[in-house]
Amino acid sequence: MSNRISTILAFVIAVIMFVAAWFFMQSGDGASAPARAEAPVAAPKEVPIDSTRCVASTEWMKSHHMQLLNQWRHDSVREGNRTYATPDGRHFDKSLNTCLGCHASNPMFCFMCHEYANVKPTCWNCHISPMEATK
Amino acid sequence: MIEKALKGSRGYWAWVALLLVLIGLGISAYARQMSLGLGVTGMGRDISWGVYIAQFTFLVGVAASAVMVVLPYYLHNQKAFSKIVIVGEFLAVSAALMCMLFILADMGRPDRVLNVLRYPSPHSMVFWDVMVLNGYLFINLISGWAVLGAEKKGVPPAPWTRPLIYLSIPWAFSIHTVTAFLFAGLPSRHLWLTAVLAPRFLASAFAAGTAILILLTFILRKVASFDAGQEARNKLAVLSAYAGVANFFLLGTEFFTAFYSNVPQHKQSLQYLYFGLEGHAPFVPWMWLSLIMGLVSVGLLISPSIRRQNSWLIAACVGLVLSIWIDKGVGLVIGGFVPTPLEAIVDYVPTATELSVTLGIWSIGLLVLTVLLKTAIAVKTQE
Amino acid sequence: MNQQRRDFLRKAGLGALAGIGAAAGMLPLFALEKTDMTVFTDKPVPGKVRWGMLVDTRKCREGCNECVVRCHHDHNVPDFGKSKNEVKWIWKSRYEEAFPTASKQFQSPDVENRNVLTLCNHCAEPPCTRACPTEATFRRWDGIVSMDYHRCIGCRFCMAACPYGSRSFNWQDPRPAVKELSATYPTRERGVVEKCNFCSERLVKGQLPACVESCAGNALTFGDLNDPGSELRKMLAANETMQRKPELGTLPSVFYII
Ligand code: SF4
Ligand code: SF4
Repeated sequence: MSNRISTILAFVIAVIMFVAAWFFMQSGDGASAPARAEAPVAAPKEVPIDSTRCVASTEWMKSHHMQLLNQWRHDSVREGNRTYATPDGRHFDKSLNTCLGCHASNPMFCFMCHEYANVKPTCWNCHISPMEATK
Repeated sequence: MIEKALKGSRGYWAWVALLLVLIGLGISAYARQMSLGLGVTGMGRDISWGVYIAQFTFLVGVAASAVMVVLPYYLHNQKAFSKIVIVGEFLAVSAALMCMLFILADMGRPDRVLNVLRYPSPHSMVFWDVMVLNGYLFINLISGWAVLGAEKKGVPPAPWTRPLIYLSIPWAFSIHTVTAFLFAGLPSRHLWLTAVLAPRFLASAFAAGTAILILLTFILRKVASFDAGQEARNKLAVLSAYAGVANFFLLGTEFFTAFYSNVPQHKQSLQYLYFGLEGHAPFVPWMWLSLIMGLVSVGLLISPSIRRQNSWLIAACVGLVLSIWIDKGVGLVIGGFVPTPLEAIVDYVPTATELSVTLGIWSIGLLVLTVLLKTAIAVKTQE
Repeated sequence: MNQQRRDFLRKAGLGALAGIGAAAGMLPLFALEKTDMTVFTDKPVPGKVRWGMLVDTRKCREGCNECVVRCHHDHNVPDFGKSKNEVKWIWKSRYEEAFPTASKQFQSPDVENRNVLTLCNHCAEPPCTRACPTEATFRRWDGIVSMDYHRCIGCRFCMAACPYGSRSFNWQDPRPAVKELSATYPTRERGVVEKCNFCSERLVKGQLPACVESCAGNALTFGDLNDPGSELRKMLAANETMQRKPELGTLPSVFYII
């Protein structure tokens, strides 16, 4: 009796292990499979950004946009972590281009305020400013 | 104590004024470099380091050679060195300072120099070099200054100076070893990719550095009537001679390995420097001058009867310093870039701007040395 | 009052400029790209992907410079000509320059005279990143050896360390030497090092590198070296290929068919 139970148990465990092993190998394959290996060949799909709302409140952005940009730059350039999730669940690419995607509609957006506050950020020494991009 | 440097003869002030003028020249040249970029130098895509890094390399050696007086005096109780120890330490301070200035002058973005500390990268030899050089400067400055201060008050130096001075001994070896590792770990720069680079750096440093010290004692005797002693000079001359022998022996082994093995990559840089490569031979006369002058000087220093005569001693020291300066302060760094990774032979000629900055940095170093030694001598002679 | 007035005038002036731009109908053509949300990634697994390239020198056409022009345009690489201040990301070298340690004696004249496309090899064991004191140049999660222009101090150790001459330093301000500003990539400042980035800014948008895309002769294959099923790996398996200076142990990710 107990012998039979243990046989059944052994059989069940063997099946479970077999299935589990199969799953493991599958997911292992998945991990080494080229998730994005062929990505460069795929045509990019452009999803429009919700341009009605910024990644954070205007007040906060006024005082903190430089820290945010620095953090984004670090994350995307050095860590490859490009997704920025806002507390209300929206997702953005951590890139200056995300900002410019909306704000460049007014090429003066950055300049006016910096001019007013008399700060001279060096961003546009290298990055193509909205004013230049229109040239 | 430093106020002692504010009293001096007319000659002293003339010398200081001359240095200040040269510093001004250097600063204006550097301003030009800052506003136009390093393109105003002779460096370029292929020879991407030039006079600055070469001077840096030479001066690290000068800084390290202070150990040649500190070690015998503190570890072996060589009383003959009692008056020269402080000269060696202060020479190390000013040489280490010049090293750092040369690095700064060479940087594309000196405003970001603190990035080296903000993002410490132990895999990079530069990181270690910055650490040990700064450490060495402060160890020597603090211990030298403290010992001098105690001497002024007529009390024995504080007990903490001793461990600091002992620490400076291995530290001196480390600065030049790490400097050699800056070069010796780079694949495909075959002139540098050699295990004897660090020993050769140390040997040439101890040869040239002690020779500079000997010359300094002569200068101090003449301009400040401060004599470090004939015995100290003689002992230093012996050290310099044997370090020079070691240097040229190691250089010879480089030649043997390169030319006997006949591996083109190993030969090419040496060929370029000493014989010319594919018609390019800008350094050939210099390198042979360096080699012959160096060997003759070492020969003079080895002979006891000759090195006891001061005029010969001076000549030999000048020859040895110049020889090693050409070898290390010109040939080694620039020759290492030829041929380039793409097998091109590119010549490098420093520009006037570059040379003015170099002169300016040397003048800053000499000014600091002058002020430090002036103070030291004033204390020692109880003026 | 005075100050206010001056500020107003200044702003008004800028506003007028913008007005002119809008009137000329240029603003709607604003050239900065939209973000491709489909390829968003969270922190990637390091080492999973290793981008690589295969250059088929047999297919590379004599006299054609399309990829070089395209790359240098897209990345705003300044043009200083063949001077000592030259900056280049990708260029053609002679066979013996690209492979100085390869067999040369009695080589077929065809091979000897062949021009070989040379660029950063995105080495798996890069000596340049080892030498860098600030990690301004570093090996990314996907095998690309990247430059952080915000961090580089311009010490040029990476240039001395690179065995392939892949790196250029900005000896002077590059902006005036960029003939036609491209909005796809920033320019650089004086005093930092730059080099090929395997078009990481295009990969993130799911595009092939500019050189690969621009080659009419199909001489360039790009893909994931870690994926045995990739076109690149299949070509590597099927052909006899070379890396530059393999004896140095840098493990280049750029391969060549001679
Ligand atoms: S080719 Fe040169 S620059 Fe590129 S990764 Fe290799 S060593 Fe670094
Ligand atoms: S030049 Fe820039 S990237 Fe190169 S080693 Fe120095 S800091 Fe690093």
